[in-house]
Amino acid sequence: MNIKEIAKKAGVSVATVSRVLNHPESVAPETKERILNVIEESEYTPNWFARGLNFNKTDTIGLLIPNILNPSYMEIAKGVEDVAHQKNYTTLLCNAENAVEKERKYVDSLQKRRVDGIVLVSSMLENEDVEGIKKQGIPVVLIGENKGDIKDVPIVRIDCEGAAYKAVRHLIDIGYKDIAIIYGTTPERENKRKIEGYIQALAEEGISEREEYIQEAANTIEGGYIAAKRLIDLKRRPRAIFTSSDLLAFGAIDAMKDHEIKVPEEVAFVGFDNIRMSNLIDPKLTTVEKPMHKMGVVGARLLFDIMDTKDEENNSREILLQSKLKIRKSCGHRERIGEIF
Amino acid sequence: MKTDFLGLKMKNPIIVSAGPWNRDGKSIRKGIAAGAGAVITETIVSDALLDVRPRIAYNGQGAQNIRLYSDIQVEGWQREMDIAKSKEGIVIASVSAHTPSELAYLAMKMEKFGADAIELGISSPMGESLEVVASDAERVYEMTKEVVRNVKIPVIAKLSQNATNISKVAKAVKSAGGSGVSAINTIRCILGVDIDTMEPTLSTYGGYSGAPIRPLGLASVASIAQAVDIPICGIGGIENYKNVLEYIMLGASAVEIGTAVMINGFERITAITNDLEQWAEEKGVKEVKAIRGAALKHLKSFEEIKIEPVVSHIDTPFCNAACEACVKACVYGAIQKQEHKMILDSEKCTGCGLCTFVCPDKKFMLDW
Repeated sequence: MNIKEIAKKAGVSVATVSRVLNHPESVAPETKERILNVIEESEYTPNWFARGLNFNKTDTIGLLIPNILNPSYMEIAKGVEDVAHQKNYTTLLCNAENAVEKERKYVDSLQKRRVDGIVLVSSMLENEDVEGIKKQGIPVVLIGENKGDIKDVPIVRIDCEGAAYKAVRHLIDIGYKDIAIIYGTTPERENKRKIEGYIQALAEEGISEREEYIQEAANTIEGGYIAAKRLIDLKRRPRAIFTSSDLLAFGAIDAMKDHEIKVPEEVAFVGFDNIRMSNLIDPKLTTVEKPMHKMGVVGARLLFDIMDTKDEENNSREILLQSKLKIRKSCGHRERIGEIF
Repeated sequence: MKTDFLGLKMKNPIIVSAGPWNRDGKSIRKGIAAGAGAVITETIVSDALLDVRPRIAYNGQGAQNIRLYSDIQVEGWQREMDIAKSKEGIVIASVSAHTPSELAYLAMKMEKFGADAIELGISSPMGESLEVVASDAERVYEMTKEVVRNVKIPVIAKLSQNATNISKVAKAVKSAGGSGVSAINTIRCILGVDIDTMEPTLSTYGGYSGAPIRPLGLASVASIAQAVDIPICGIGGIENYKNVLEYIMLGASAVEIGTAVMINGFERITAITNDLEQWAEEKGVKEVKAIRGAALKHLKSFEEIKIEPVVSHIDTPFCNAACEACVKACVYGAIQKQEHKMILDSEKCTGCGLCTFVCPDKKFMLDW
């Protein structure tokens, strides 16, 4: 049943039904009651998409994540959704799959659906793409650093370089010198920063970086497995490996097990993200805790700030959240107090 | 007894401190209704998590808590602040975060929701890290500065005894533009160990509060007052109006009370404010500033303490109490008790003063 049929059944004009739905205070009480009864009887629900066209408001936001199979992005998504849900908004989740064309297509589709705002997680878009979205009057917020050079958009991020530095520093402090890094091809800028942090920590100790210790891999469990195999085959096998994500660490540890190499006794590991599984694998993974859920929550808040206030000032806001080294067993650390705090 | 704290005109210097007793708008109203000059919200964080269970322990003297943050998300605090501020009363928002930008954002939100001031909860000794933020003057400076830059309402930083030099941290707050400091937060602790099960009272390190930490709070407030010209809110183990006066006389403009409310309920706030009013009336003290810091001038350096040849005296040597506390406590062997007669050897007595504290009848005094 559509609005015309409701109007006919209630004996009023379409405009009156529309007013009952959108400005009920402007309709006489008896008329309102009669129309609402008809609506209830006929189980009519308004066409929300059409409503969006009229009101320029659809109570939906778009959320683009690089890879739906990576649990770290699901934690971020949960944070965004938690806030959106509290605000009675629906979140449309789009999986960009680390492909800029797919990401652009989704953005286009979200714009057509008149979403009220868009959250981009570790986006591959360029500044001009985002300028285009903003011109449509749709606010954008970034979570994590984007690949391109997006400007004048609020961002929630962590200091990837500092976090990687601390992780590698921790391995050095335990006593390892031959330390390798496995980094994912995506997210590109964030992983580049992690490599910088890795190199800085080594340089500070006067450990010269070895090219064969810096291994690139697809940011997946399989990618970690393959890169680890390359490290295992080296003449001078590293004693410790820092990975740019937990998934890479899982794959690499799996490779160690297949080659009967003991973790952490023969090769130690520090991961990045602290996804929930990292506490369940054996040995429990020492990793950089990225406040993923909090990044999602704060990112969504920044988006609603702009949506609610249209305040341009919010566009320059950058919120840096703190990551933390979560010490467990895979790094070979022996001070229990370090695991507690 | 009125006080002007951070430019807030308070009807009395009693503030209900941050904690689960102020977990929502309704409970904040209870503190205001009980007569508090101001109430501080339970500490609000960016991402409220589920609390651990159990998380509070008490041994009759002091309490240990592990992680007491608000489980209401920021969005929910808009509603709670509306309730809290629905009638008269000063409401201060306690916020906690790990970076300056995160902290400033929370503070801005709470300002928007109607908070009269912000307290920075940057000194929690729980789970966060081995070194509390408030032990690092530089980080405290950065955090305070970023918050001050972003809000118009007064900002106070809550400091910790888990710092080697608390005055230095208070100075950092002042130079960052902070309006005041509150001291002290709880102190890292383990309340005890059950020797049968060999388990600690609670399952991780926590923060110690209650009467046992009062002497530490008093010393911290005094040392800040003697080093930095900044309004201070005294915290730690306040149980009655006398404790309030102790903090004020050592330099505090206001005080916070938490554990006493947790154990005894909001009635304790009413009792303390009434007793304080009565004392102030009897003494003719109208405002806190009339007595603030009055005890500080009696705090001396060792070289300023004039050594008088005092020894212990008692007026009447007769004592029939079944008690030998003084005899046991006299490390110099100057006190003996024969039947009901006290014998003091003034040659052996070195005037240490301990007997004047241990005697339940207060028979001893120092004199020369």
